[in-house]
Amino acid sequence: MRSRYALRFVALAYLALLLGVPVVLVFFNAFQDGIGAAWDAVTTPEAQHAFWLTFVMVAVAVPLNTIFGVVAALVIVRQRFRGRALLNAAIDLPFAVSPVVVGLSLLLVYGTRDGWVGNWFAEQGIRIIFSTPGMILATMFVSLPFVVRETIPVLREIGTEQEQAAATLGAGPFQTFFRITLPAIRWGVAYGVVLTTARALGEFGAVSIVSGKLSGQTETATLLVESEFRRFNETGAYAASVVLCVLALVTLLAMNLIKPKEART
Amino acid sequence: MSIVVDSVTKQFGDYTALDDVSLEVRDGSLTALLGPSGGGKSTLLRVIAGLESPDSGTVLIGGEDATSQPPQQRNVGFVFQHYAAFKHMTVAKNVAFGLTIRKRPKEEIEERVDELLRLVHLEGFAHRYPSQLSGGQRQRMALARALAVQPRVLLLDEPFGALDATVRKELRAWLRRLHDEVHVTTVFVTHDQEEAMEVAEQIVVLNHGKIEQMGSPKQLYEEPANEFVMGFIGPISELSGRSIRPHEVDILREPHDGTAEAMIDRIVHLGFEVRVELTLGDGEKTWVQTTKAQAEELELSEGDIVWLRPNAPSAEPVPVTLP
Repeated sequence: MRSRYALRFVALAYLALLLGVPVVLVFFNAFQDGIGAAWDAVTTPEAQHAFWLTFVMVAVAVPLNTIFGVVAALVIVRQRFRGRALLNAAIDLPFAVSPVVVGLSLLLVYGTRDGWVGNWFAEQGIRIIFSTPGMILATMFVSLPFVVRETIPVLREIGTEQEQAAATLGAGPFQTFFRITLPAIRWGVAYGVVLTTARALGEFGAVSIVSGKLSGQTETATLLVESEFRRFNETGAYAASVVLCVLALVTLLAMNLIKPKEART
Repeated sequence: MSIVVDSVTKQFGDYTALDDVSLEVRDGSLTALLGPSGGGKSTLLRVIAGLESPDSGTVLIGGEDATSQPPQQRNVGFVFQHYAAFKHMTVAKNVAFGLTIRKRPKEEIEERVDELLRLVHLEGFAHRYPSQLSGGQRQRMALARALAVQPRVLLLDEPFGALDATVRKELRAWLRRLHDEVHVTTVFVTHDQEEAMEVAEQIVVLNHGKIEQMGSPKQLYEEPANEFVMGFIGPISELSGRSIRPHEVDILREPHDGTAEAMIDRIVHLGFEVRVELTLGDGEKTWVQTTKAQAEELELSEGDIVWLRPNAPSAEPVPVTLP
């Protein structure tokens, strides 16, 4: 009995010290000059633009990574070809590589002066680095594995018999995918989408390198938090942090709501 | 409709699942593909359905070459061993699937689904999900789903293999009756000879990717083409170096011409049937199937010395002729 309480205490104390206290302090600091000051801090034109930009990152990266994730999971689970294991391993690269390195590698590819293809894009008048496209690419890179990783196990679990049954009943490949496969894997995909969203909202390192951090132009919410902090505008930094926290909490809550009942604990 | 399989070969890597198999299934018949696991029977069924494509050979359904048709164009009903129920759909939606795909009018679909659910005795289950059904109910749902599109042929892959013995027996008899009602050309795969004998009009015995023999259950039992078929269709026992049905051996108390001496090791009472296990003079083990009445009349008991004599010389397999 006592050891049970001890275990519970350790788990809760660990969580409280590591997660609870810092997050609560963020909220506390954001509102130390009153709700009005916090509200003003997150409604300046720069802040509004930063949140808009973060929304754009999420709105582009999440759908694209979702489609790619489902396709990649189908290929990895259902097909046998040379290089399949390599593809499977490459998907995890964004987990393993530091976001800063991701940012630098994007500079090498798309950099305007000495990037691999950046020069060509620049000649066409398309700016990638220090601009929104580069930031979107960085966000996509770091949030790429989630949908794939969450979809693969459910895809393995459902097997192919339901799809074969659908085929014998007259369904073509597209009908089979949309009527059978997708509904069967929807919880895995949805969980992946939630994690992708959370990651895209919070990305800092890679985006920071490729953005150039131009206030009001290439500054996302996370970059805004950093620049406000550097300028000793604590209320601004903490208030923006609170918005990010709330968005993350909403995302996690959404995940718990969409999870099938049997998977909830 | 009739099915013709003509010299079909299918390999999976180095493994030959079907080796030049030819077969004809009559329109409206009920055929069993019987054989040990890995014998090629499921592969043959899947080739007919279009779920596997043969390396060579052709498949004709209703006289029409279907070899290069994908499964969705063949209009066959397929029932899987593990039901392949669409878990996110209700029973009614499962059964309606093929009709929904064919964009039939809603009223027609509802009517047909009701009719099929009555046929498979699942009237009250239309709005349940597959997870709320028992194995036997799920398989009946799968059968209704396959029948909904009025398939040209109905193919069942070990349909009762995942069910417990009682339900299996029930569904067997029920499939037989269903076939009498619906008359769709039906082919089912099984490794259970009793199931094949009980349900099918025609049995095709497959082993190592080849057809060992095909014929009616009676033919296969009485005139097995070879030792394998004899051993697979019904029990066999060894006497004087040849295979024999264990009930075609008489137990005698005295030696006669052509009898073999044996000692009773064990007597197993299975109700009406009694199994007598013996050791022959040369040390070989064998067994004889007799009746309770006979065993009592001969006053058999373990340790007794008796003499064995085949009572039906015709039981010997006819000379091996592979098709």
